[in-house]
Amino acid sequence: MTGLLAVAVPAALSIRLLAALAAALLARRPRICRWVALGGSVSASLLTAAAALTVITSRAPIEGLLFRHDASGMVFSYAITPLSAWFLVVLGLIAVPVAVYSVEYLAHAITSSRTAIVGAAFNVLLGSVEAVFVVDGVVAFLCAWEVMTLATTVLVAIEHEQRPSRQAAYLYLAMSHVGTGCLLAGFLILGSHAGSLAFPAMFAAPELPGPLRHVLFVLFFVGFGVKAGLIPLHVWLPEAHPAAPTNVSTLMSAVLITAGHYGLYRVCGFGLGVPDQNWALVLMFIGMLSAVLGVLYALAQTDLKRLLAYSTIENSGIVVLGLGAAMMARANGQLALASIAVAASLTHVLNHAVFKGLLFLSAGSVVMANGSRHIEGYGGLLRRMPWTGLSFVIGAMAISGLPLFNGFPSEWLTFQALLLGFTLTGGFVRLNFPVAAAALALTSALAAVCFVRAFGITFLALPRSPEAAGADESPRLMLASQAWLSVLCVALGLFPGVAVGALQGVMASLPGLEPMASVADGPLGITSGIGSFDRVVPAMLGVAMIGALGAAGLGLVRGAAVRRVRTWACGGELTAQAEYTATAFSKPLLMIFKAVYRPRREVDTLVEVSPYFPHEVRYSTEIEPTFERYVYGPLVKTVVRAATGMRVLQAGSLHTYLAYVLVLAVILLIWLGGTT
Amino acid sequence: MIPDPFFTMGAAVLHAAGMLAMAPLLKTVIKKMKARLQNRYGPPLLQGYYDLAKLLRKEPVRSETASWVYVAGPRVYFAAAVAATTLVPVLFAWAPLEDAGGILLLVGTLALGRFALATAALDTGSPFGGMGASRDMTIAALAEPALMLGLFASALAAGTMNLGVLVRGLVEQGPAWHPSDLLAFAGLFVIVIAETGRIPVDNPATHLELTMIHEAMVLEYAGPDLALVEWASAVKELLYLTLLVNLFMPIGIATSGDAGAVLVALLAWTGKVLLLAIAVTVTESTNAKLRLFRVPELLSVSLGLAFLALAIRFL
Repeated sequence: MTGLLAVAVPAALSIRLLAALAAALLARRPRICRWVALGGSVSASLLTAAAALTVITSRAPIEGLLFRHDASGMVFSYAITPLSAWFLVVLGLIAVPVAVYSVEYLAHAITSSRTAIVGAAFNVLLGSVEAVFVVDGVVAFLCAWEVMTLATTVLVAIEHEQRPSRQAAYLYLAMSHVGTGCLLAGFLILGSHAGSLAFPAMFAAPELPGPLRHVLFVLFFVGFGVKAGLIPLHVWLPEAHPAAPTNVSTLMSAVLITAGHYGLYRVCGFGLGVPDQNWALVLMFIGMLSAVLGVLYALAQTDLKRLLAYSTIENSGIVVLGLGAAMMARANGQLALASIAVAASLTHVLNHAVFKGLLFLSAGSVVMANGSRHIEGYGGLLRRMPWTGLSFVIGAMAISGLPLFNGFPSEWLTFQALLLGFTLTGGFVRLNFPVAAAALALTSALAAVCFVRAFGITFLALPRSPEAAGADESPRLMLASQAWLSVLCVALGLFPGVAVGALQGVMASLPGLEPMASVADGPLGITSGIGSFDRVVPAMLGVAMIGALGAAGLGLVRGAAVRRVRTWACGGELTAQAEYTATAFSKPLLMIFKAVYRPRREVDTLVEVSPYFPHEVRYSTEIEPTFERYVYGPLVKTVVRAATGMRVLQAGSLHTYLAYVLVLAVILLIWLGGTT
Repeated sequence: MIPDPFFTMGAAVLHAAGMLAMAPLLKTVIKKMKARLQNRYGPPLLQGYYDLAKLLRKEPVRSETASWVYVAGPRVYFAAAVAATTLVPVLFAWAPLEDAGGILLLVGTLALGRFALATAALDTGSPFGGMGASRDMTIAALAEPALMLGLFASALAAGTMNLGVLVRGLVEQGPAWHPSDLLAFAGLFVIVIAETGRIPVDNPATHLELTMIHEAMVLEYAGPDLALVEWASAVKELLYLTLLVNLFMPIGIATSGDAGAVLVALLAWTGKVLLLAIAVTVTESTNAKLRLFRVPELLSVSLGLAFLALAIRFL
């Protein structure tokens, strides 16, 4: 067994490649193709997750060789460090249920002629994310990073007959390549400074002098920030995540953004020496901005998958806020505090993956049953899809940060890090911490509004469309995946100490952290780590609530039969038209935050006889896409204008091109001649 | 403090039962005082109990469209409110379940109850439920940062987030009344008004569709279900007032179990809560209800006060 785990990474990558190849070859036999591709994916995920778990428990990294080319001297090696292991475990926890879900989902929701390409790309995507987490050299990392981007693009563009899908894929590709370009530049600068392209040597190299260090930080922050979906680099995310098939959206929201977080941790947080205080401020500010704006935009969506995509931006912001607090603590020499903030942020990576995975899979069931992503057309689905409804409400409560579910412990830890940051650091800088805490409180409260709305409008009351009235519950395998993630949501909420305890090894491995501040308090509880600042045992609250519920039940048992009556509708017949809509539900917040949304609405009244008897009223509302319009609009325009200007150079004449070569050669000769 | 689980359990049950028993009285006392200010007699002091008893005896009536969410809503709301009381010290400088968590767990528990009730309100298909849920959640979302920041101001001054430890520290050190306490208190008072659904944020005495918030949310409930909601709301109100008096006026809290100290604590707690109830009543009687879209301004004032409290304490 240990022998197998030692070669788990090459083995898993080979399984994925073989599965992808087999899927491509079995394109004519969709049923077998699904089982081969997804079965291969499950076994590979289990293998890497098992290897990662042994790394976390034993704290000894697994290292090895992936590929060696003697003639060119190129060596691709890998190392599962405890940090990589944490991300691999998160990946495995999500990838297995998603693959199981996909077996049925692909059969029902994807045309059978595309099963092969989805199955193959699914494996390639997961394999490249695994490679991103484990390789320890620049070349291999950038290759894996690029394959990850391309595999995702294929999956986003799978419904390429539709214009929005193509546009989303194009936007994703463009944004990703801006990010990759930044990474390439950053790695080249760092590599030439360190004299090596291997990660351990690069990150252990002495700090770069002066402003170059800040340039490096910015390059890496932008490069990884694009993948993490941080505002203002997020514009691709709400387009690409909903466009992909839902099983892929799940992977993108739960797993793919963690590749960005991994990079931020590996390089910006712990790779460039002791972080500068200003970097930490940037991370905290961008984290706050992403969290608050992410949830505000999520609130305004009426497309269920877009709503979830914006909420991914929100949670990515919370993760980065935690990392920013850790960097701030490290910049101020508070190492114990830094380890608490890291624990908060990494736990949130795990918890977000679990609850967002659950929400996306449940949303996938809903979209499949309704044939639409429009939330206003749903309603009353709880009767038709009881199990999907149950799993969605569990995910909704988890994402709202409510105790007993898994969103609570990580938000709790983030609060601890921020509040302790306020007490432990000095000067004006400390005021950032309570501001961030207030922003986090606002974020989680708004998330609750957002998910009361998403669950209530989708699953409760009367169906608003014939599709919703006739929706069918998903097949068993899909429900099993949802059930597994629901159980995880509750288990991680009731036993927060288990996840946080496992992090101990990860924190010990990160440079410059003081692993002494243990935040686990048995399996049931977590503490703030420093002094007796705070401690929480959600299970105790659970027992108290069950006690109160039992007492209330005893008081209520009287044997009286429940009388069922029609809902009072002001004297009329209650129809779906009278129900509160999702748009109406979030209207007050839209009005209150109109400085952010800048909503535009149009009301058209069609009259035939008299203006007092409208024949039809049309209402349309739209929020302004601020970043798209004011940041990216001018940017794209400038780039296009510059490209048009440069067209003069590209005249299409061979003679001109030869002249360019000649001129360049002469210049180079003069320049080089001057140096020798 | 005392590790015996049976003792903790017994104390928690007594504590919760005490809060459950006192809550309807507080509601009626405020109603009565309000009536007196308007030259009316108001209801008898036991009216709150009569109402609950009547509702609990009634036949449960539910909507045809309602699912299990509708049934779960009031129960989770009730359980959360009752469980929350065990996290807050009332008579003693010690809360029965203080080992379970502090301020963040308290706020989270109350949010859990609200989530359940707001979701349930959408279940009948009546537009009133949706309207109430939307407004209630909106105000709660804006109040939560201010509530947390106000509580953080006290917690950071004491160096702990645990309410039991916090109150013990306050009792030991005696009342200091730092100016920042005054600001934090003012900020939290506004939040308590908002969270308990009182004028100028919400009007508990009306069923007018344009103005109601909390009442719209629970409009469809009847009989025992409604009794649970009403009772839990009363408990929540008593809990908020208790929290406020014990954090800012920690006078007379019992630090030991002897009869004299407990009696003093009971009298002091009753007196302090009554004082605060008078403040709530006066606020309610002398203000007009705000438009829904003016409420955020009020809440941001509260947020600003809490932030100032933090700033002047530590800078």
